[in-house]
Amino acid sequence: MSELIQLGSHNERPMPPKADELNLRFSEQAIKELEGLKTHYPNLKACILPGLWIAQREYGGFLDGDAIAEVAHRLSRSYAEVQGVATFYSMYNTVHNPGKHKIEVCTCLSCHFNSAYRIRDYVSKKLGIKNGETTADGMFMLEEVECLNACDRAPVVQVGDRYFGPVDEKSIDALLEELRASEESTVVKMADQIVQVQLKAEERVGTIR
Amino acid sequence: MAAATDIQTVNIIVNGIELAVPKGELVVEAVKRLGLEIPIFCYHPRLKPVGMCRMCLVETGMKNPQDGTIRMMPKPAAACTLPVSEGLVINTESDALKKDRKGVLEFLLINHPLDCPICDRGGECPLQNNTLFYGPATSRFIEQKRHNVKAYPLSDYVTLDLERCIQCARCIRFTEEISGDSQLAFRFRGNKTHPITFNETKFTSKFSGNVIEICPVGALTNRKYRFRARPWDLQTSEAVCLNCSNGCNIWFDHRAGKVVRINARTNEAINEEWTCDKGKFGHDYYNDEKRLETPFARTGDELQKADYATVYAKLLEAFHGDNTGMILGDSLSNETYITAQNFFTGQLGSHNIDYRFSANQAKGASTVDNSIASLELAKTTLVFGTHLADDLPIVFLRVRKGWFNQGTQVILATDRSDEVSEFAAHTLVYKPGTEATIAKAFAGQVSVADAAAKCGISEPELQAAITAAAGATVITTTSLNHEAAEVLKALDGNFNAYPTGANERGAQLALACDGLSALEQLKKAANGELSALWVVGVDLFSVGLPREEVIRALENVDFLAVQDSRRTETFYYASVALPMTLPAEQDGSYTNCEGTTQQMKAIIPPVGQAKPAWRVFEELSIRVNPRMPFSQASEILASAPAFA
Ligand code: SF4
Ligand code: FES
Ligand code: FES
Repeated sequence: MSELIQLGSHNERPMPPKADELNLRFSEQAIKELEGLKTHYPNLKACILPGLWIAQREYGGFLDGDAIAEVAHRLSRSYAEVQGVATFYSMYNTVHNPGKHKIEVCTCLSCHFNSAYRIRDYVSKKLGIKNGETTADGMFMLEEVECLNACDRAPVVQVGDRYFGPVDEKSIDALLEELRASEESTVVKMADQIVQVQLKAEERVGTIR
Repeated sequence: MAAATDIQTVNIIVNGIELAVPKGELVVEAVKRLGLEIPIFCYHPRLKPVGMCRMCLVETGMKNPQDGTIRMMPKPAAACTLPVSEGLVINTESDALKKDRKGVLEFLLINHPLDCPICDRGGECPLQNNTLFYGPATSRFIEQKRHNVKAYPLSDYVTLDLERCIQCARCIRFTEEISGDSQLAFRFRGNKTHPITFNETKFTSKFSGNVIEICPVGALTNRKYRFRARPWDLQTSEAVCLNCSNGCNIWFDHRAGKVVRINARTNEAINEEWTCDKGKFGHDYYNDEKRLETPFARTGDELQKADYATVYAKLLEAFHGDNTGMILGDSLSNETYITAQNFFTGQLGSHNIDYRFSANQAKGASTVDNSIASLELAKTTLVFGTHLADDLPIVFLRVRKGWFNQGTQVILATDRSDEVSEFAAHTLVYKPGTEATIAKAFAGQVSVADAAAKCGISEPELQAAITAAAGATVITTTSLNHEAAEVLKALDGNFNAYPTGANERGAQLALACDGLSALEQLKKAANGELSALWVVGVDLFSVGLPREEVIRALENVDFLAVQDSRRTETFYYASVALPMTLPAEQDGSYTNCEGTTQQMKAIIPPVGQAKPAWRVFEELSIRVNPRMPFSQASEILASAPAFA
């Protein structure tokens, strides 16, 4: 766990950023969407989760400190609070940059019985990364996850908003090829879709991907 | 007791004893009425309950109103989140509860490092205490413990040890609910949950020290006190913090005559149970290596150690008549002010005895209508021309509490946005120097359009703030521009120009201030028109005047007497110098910004030959005019009608 906090022996922590030091990156579209979403809730605190989804899309799938700070700033919440919320949920990528595609291999019970570890090891070997790592070219990240609620298709792999299963070495090869060839980042795409689902029809600015 | 009858009560049964308690009171509070105590970790009476630790389990049940039979619930409930209701039955002791509490503690201790022997909290730790009374004697946990960051410097004052944290969220709730900076939050979940700042940035809260005290374990410790003593080695005494005018009540923890730490002491009327960081961590001056220990007198270019008699003789020779002046600091005891006034005007015949360095302080209003506690009940508050969290930290907490608990509408007008703007309904940031104009706009003496243009505020904003501020309680300080102060004072609502100097209020009451103000004395001294100047308990180089002016004044006065606790920069210009005791080394009383006079007793021995300033004045006074001198501080206070 210590990797979560970079332990420094120095005593002088960096100061929290001031509002005018922030590097705001939300696009026009994102700002409009956030304005729309704000009206869905009685207070801005409740809007943190959708706000984070917009940020996850805008920041290329990774919620780093800048992204968190931007959401907090736009919703008038504290940085710490928004970071606390974001890190609580595993679907927000707050610890590792997930790259373009996040390969989530279910290793829970049913999948485990159906050789989930063999699949995991195969992906791991093929991409040269371990659980929680991203390939050097920023293309794939591998993550072991708990039950994906699709035990009937075990072993199951999730990429973006799509489930694949039962998978074997051959279908994994095909899947990786397909992903490699695709232009779009499935991580960003999923974030976008989640944003769109929450918007009312008249609030949608972008086109649904 | 009319008020008491308004409170709606309900009947409950606690451990078989029937009692009536206010409706909606939490069970954990209600049982205290019987002198019972439920073990807790996360619950804190001044924070909203969250029910995170499950330490406070009690058995609950309901009494049937028809037949009076009692039906108990099969499972225990958390007492800190359960409000009482009619017919509620509570059991705080039973074999099952003993087991429950043991279980909760066993879980809490699984990931706790049990490093009490090297933990600062050891000896005063709620986790230790609860474990002793309710916990298992041994651990069944033989696996590897969770490891985490230790001794993490969260800020200049606070160290975080994540292994010790039991995730009670008290520190987090403090920053969210009380200090309002919300700089701490839980990150991650499950056994990775830990409280920390955003991206591990510095914890910059101005009230950060309080989280150390409310942490029920040793996860947050005091960096200044770290490893300096064990709690059982400390002696503790009641004291008052004199680092600002709020006058927080504190515990002064000392060891072998030296202060080692400051903790808050509860006083509902003033600081409740909080302190600000300036107070909690700012008592180093007691142990300053520059403490002045003996009298000094100048021979030629050099200041040499001298005895009191020599210095007294020189003083009495140099000071008499209106050609001499005395400047007093604003944090001296009331006794010092009273005796100084008696001696300097009564015996030496000079009216130039004063503490005011700014023209605003001298001319402005010093009215105070509100006690600190009553601020929390104000409907609308106008904070004008002050940065409350810096100038009056405890007043800041009250104003914020009013907003947080009962929705006080706060309007802020200052020269930059600050902590108050975080919750203020209207924030007006005016150009520095335009206080008077904007105050007049509030009073309707200048048009909103003119004022807005002059102060650099948008007109609708100003108009909205002015409308909202009708009848508001005004909070400002004595250093506010005096024109602005006069205007605001004449407004409908209450007006409070709180002094910011630790005992400025006492100085206001005790000193006649009918001669030259401190500022005017310095000006006169600079022109060589003052033959002797006496500076008591203030470093002229730290009062915000331009250095050259101060130097010119000090060089052009023939005789300079300095009476201070440490060798300040002013000291090096002195003709004679006298060592002075600090508040904890002498008996004395101090009047805080709202006008409450609080007593302090001598806690630690004085350094060297240092004497209380009032004693010096008394000793000198009887040399001029023999009489029975005051021998105790309390006699002096009793003699002064202003403090009756
Ligand atoms: S650091 Fe202390 S106060 Fe904060 S959550 Fe942990 S145990 Fe509670
Ligand atoms: S165990 Fe893999 S989907 Fe349920
Ligand atoms: S004190 Fe009640 S759950 Fe912590």
